[in-house]
Amino acid sequence: MKWFTMAVCAALMAATTVTAEEKLVLDGSTTVGPIAKAFAEYYMSMNPDVNVTVSESGSGNGAKSLIHGTCDIANLSRFMKDNEFTAAAEAGVMPVAHVVAMDGIAMVVHPSNPVKELTVAQVRDIYAGKITNWSDLGGPDRDIVVVSRDTNSGTYETFYNLVMTHKVDGEKVKEKIQSGAEYVGSNGAARQRVQSTPAAIAYVGLGFVDRTVKDLTIEGVDATPESVASGRYAIARPLFMFTNGYPKLGSHVHAFTTIHLSPKGQEIVEEIGFVPVTKY
Amino acid sequence: MGMKARNLLDRLFSGVGVLAIVVMGLALVLILAPIFSRGAGAYIFKATVEHRRMLLERFERGNAEALAAEAEAVREARAPVYAMLARYAAEDLAGLSGREKREARQRLEEVEDILQELFGPMPGAATPVLPRQQYGATRWDRAEVKLDRLLYVETWDYSDSGSMGQQVLKPRREEFAGTALEPLFGYVETHLEAMLRPEWTFYWGFLTDSSFDAHIFGGIWPELVGTIYLTLGAMVFAVPLGIVSAIYFAEYAQEGRLVSLLRTCVSTLAGVPSIVFGLFGLAFFINTMHVSRSKSVLAGSLTLGMLILPTVIRAAEEAIRAVPHSYKEAAVGLGAGRWRTVVTVILPAALPGILTGTVISMGRAAGETAPIIFTAAVSVGKVLSPWETLTQPTPALSWNIYNLCTEHEAVDEIRHVQFGMAATLVLAVLLLNLVAIIMRARISNKLKG
Amino acid sequence: MGTPRSSRQSLVMSARANLAAALSRWLGNGLLLAITSVAAIGVLFILFFIARDAVPFFQLRGFKEFFTSTHWYPSQEPVEFGALSIFVGSGLVTLGAALVAAPLGVAAALCLSDVLPFGVRQAVKPVIEMLAAIPSVAYGFFALVVFAPWLQRLGAITGTNALNVSIILGIMALPTVVSVSEDALQAVGRELREGSYALGATRAETLLRTIVPAASSGILAAVLLGIMRALGETMVVWMASGNAAQIPDPWFNFLEPVRTLTATIAGDMGEADHVTGSARYHVLFAMGLCLLLFCFACNLISEWVVSIQRRKLKGE
Repeated sequence: MKWFTMAVCAALMAATTVTAEEKLVLDGSTTVGPIAKAFAEYYMSMNPDVNVTVSESGSGNGAKSLIHGTCDIANLSRFMKDNEFTAAAEAGVMPVAHVVAMDGIAMVVHPSNPVKELTVAQVRDIYAGKITNWSDLGGPDRDIVVVSRDTNSGTYETFYNLVMTHKVDGEKVKEKIQSGAEYVGSNGAARQRVQSTPAAIAYVGLGFVDRTVKDLTIEGVDATPESVASGRYAIARPLFMFTNGYPKLGSHVHAFTTIHLSPKGQEIVEEIGFVPVTKY
Repeated sequence: MGMKARNLLDRLFSGVGVLAIVVMGLALVLILAPIFSRGAGAYIFKATVEHRRMLLERFERGNAEALAAEAEAVREARAPVYAMLARYAAEDLAGLSGREKREARQRLEEVEDILQELFGPMPGAATPVLPRQQYGATRWDRAEVKLDRLLYVETWDYSDSGSMGQQVLKPRREEFAGTALEPLFGYVETHLEAMLRPEWTFYWGFLTDSSFDAHIFGGIWPELVGTIYLTLGAMVFAVPLGIVSAIYFAEYAQEGRLVSLLRTCVSTLAGVPSIVFGLFGLAFFINTMHVSRSKSVLAGSLTLGMLILPTVIRAAEEAIRAVPHSYKEAAVGLGAGRWRTVVTVILPAALPGILTGTVISMGRAAGETAPIIFTAAVSVGKVLSPWETLTQPTPALSWNIYNLCTEHEAVDEIRHVQFGMAATLVLAVLLLNLVAIIMRARISNKLKG
Repeated sequence: MGTPRSSRQSLVMSARANLAAALSRWLGNGLLLAITSVAAIGVLFILFFIARDAVPFFQLRGFKEFFTSTHWYPSQEPVEFGALSIFVGSGLVTLGAALVAAPLGVAAALCLSDVLPFGVRQAVKPVIEMLAAIPSVAYGFFALVVFAPWLQRLGAITGTNALNVSIILGIMALPTVVSVSEDALQAVGRELREGSYALGATRAETLLRTIVPAASSGILAAVLLGIMRALGETMVVWMASGNAAQIPDPWFNFLEPVRTLTATIAGDMGEADHVTGSARYHVLFAMGLCLLLFCFACNLISEWVVSIQRRKLKGE
């Protein structure tokens, strides 16, 4: 009886350690989420014994998880911040960035909205609460419903840095987003809000623009993969996956963080609506 | 005040009360009706041949021979469409140049895109990586929406500058007037059924299939299993603790300051907001106790267990107190000790009542979302084996309903999945409650004799 | 129960066996007490862990800004943690929920306890239980996907606003209000009712002039518990309140989006990080602490109120 119990215990332990190796934990941004999820499906279909889990809890959370050692790959839609790097170094974690794709932040409105074009300054004024009615922008007399991503998202930070921060007389001025702005937790929710609200404006990642909303021309440039890749579109940023050190060659983490460099990876990135970093 | 007026006021008063109850019932119906009626659409719908192809290729279910025959018939029905496309490219597009050609090609691409969404990849094209491009419309209702997009171009009329634009639907045929593609639209409209062969299907796999490609295909099995794990885990922690506590309160405790303090603590625990449990689970179980390296079913179960502990204690205590005094007196009279009395007489008699409370708190644990956000839930993951629950996080119905209806990139494409998930969760919880109600009715009948 | 047994034991047992029995009883009692204390310790742990992470926030930023400023900019330089508008948001939707749940709930409870015949009452009970059982995320899903578009079609600028959330939270709080106040009404004995009818009062007069005043504290407790449920609810407000950190203009404008404490905790936890030890992490715990203290207070008041009623009824 005793040896039997021991054997069972050993088998259980072996099973646990095996499964512990065969899992890949991803955490972080909702913007990188679709890429991560598609990569995860693709990777699991190639390696059926690996369990890839993807949490979409925000860029900051992803960074935190990496620092805590609770995830293998952190998806960030912004670069790591100074204090996150400091905390990582103190915890003995060395974050290495992998740029998996480029993304433009598109300004979207309801298709019934006649406004077609805005400048970055106009967008800033809308979000700062200086322009409150569409009639000021050549549209109908409707109060603008301002929709922003929640402050915990990388998209918010990018938008804040690229749009709300500007230079006046050579000095950096950071405008505050008006307190009346609605905050939503994800790109999908932002688009949905615009879809159902004729007077709304929101910013979403390029991959989330579809027929149900109209994306605006910013500074005369349409948000397309081409204009983002060429750098002509003003509100664009790279998307990252961070790992602790460069992943060991041949490991699952390495294989996963190099998917975007393969032709299949490029195809996936393109199909979900982002801009790949490779050109096959 | 006259008698008449008083009677009138009395009636009015009763009316208001009845109205309140009617409003309550109406609210229940209004909330459940859309969730159930649209949720049923995830299980019962007109499935196209693409759906059957998907089932055969991904889940190895279905009749391969019948499908092959069907595929042949479908291919024949679709052939004219691809022939028209080829003719258009060869005859009309070749004759154009410069900007005209670019614009024509763009229009053609739009048509091709919609056709791919309807029928899957073009014949001869390489198999795309993403499953969502490998299959056409699997559901007839989605196919009809796509047909609409094929037939009509949606434009917006902004001529009235004082108001929002008006939607104008223009037949797409007009864009291709006089070309080889013009007959395509009429052909697809009339032959869509032959090209997709919709059939009413009961897709039980929605419950038992894993999903793939971000829930666009497949079912909700991993979420369902995750919810079951979390719920059972919470019960494992809460039920024994809860019953022992209830025994103490009902049988042993001498009312005093300590006991009333304990009671207050229990009722206070019941009033703690669920999100605070989530914060606590993160701060205590994961960051302080390190029950697991990161989110895990174990940590989530512990958190949920604390959440339902007061409910279990209350229900169990009530059940124990409801056991008639004569039982206890008889046991004691026969010489049984206090503990023996509890174990052999009181607990068995109170068991149905305790189970009722347990079942209700199971429903509560299954439906809670806020406590598992930071402790257990992920949006994509496999079905776990029981020992993996100690270390790994899981998707769960409640979290994925939130996730899919707010964070998904194709929210509209998968409405049926969201409603299906919500309906499944609500149904499961209501069934648990129904069980509890029936059990309670039987107990009260028994107690009445 | 203890007395007959111990006297019987003393008849048959030696002094030593008696001591052993007493010792084991004492130990058993202690063990049971210890297990029972888990729930109590749980509450204290929750309070401790939340407070432990909330205190640094007040040390870093003081009290004034948090409670009096409406500037909620947790992620930009310079950070501002004025949570007043969030408190107001929580208060507003809770008030809205109470306005929906209290009149409806009390009317329904009166009707259930005194107007409807027994059979109908049995049929209505499951409705209340079902309302209580539906998971909050399902309510939130309904509010966001079904109810918000309805509101918009009725002319609201945005469907995700305080009104939407108030109504849904009100419905969620209804079962608590109904069942607790029905209990309170039932606790008022038959004598009062019969006395009132005997004096020639109609049913409405009996209920409103006699029964409701007698059960008033229990009804108050019911409403308080309902309010607690609404205030602590997360998913519905997170999904459907609009999450705008503003005080509506005017303050009772329910058609504007608002932000609540619970939704802020759920939504902001992603960025807040205790590794970097920022005020941003601790501010969420400060909010959690405020929620917790408020719920404790509500709970204590409702228990106190109920005990008063019990004493009063006994006294009469």
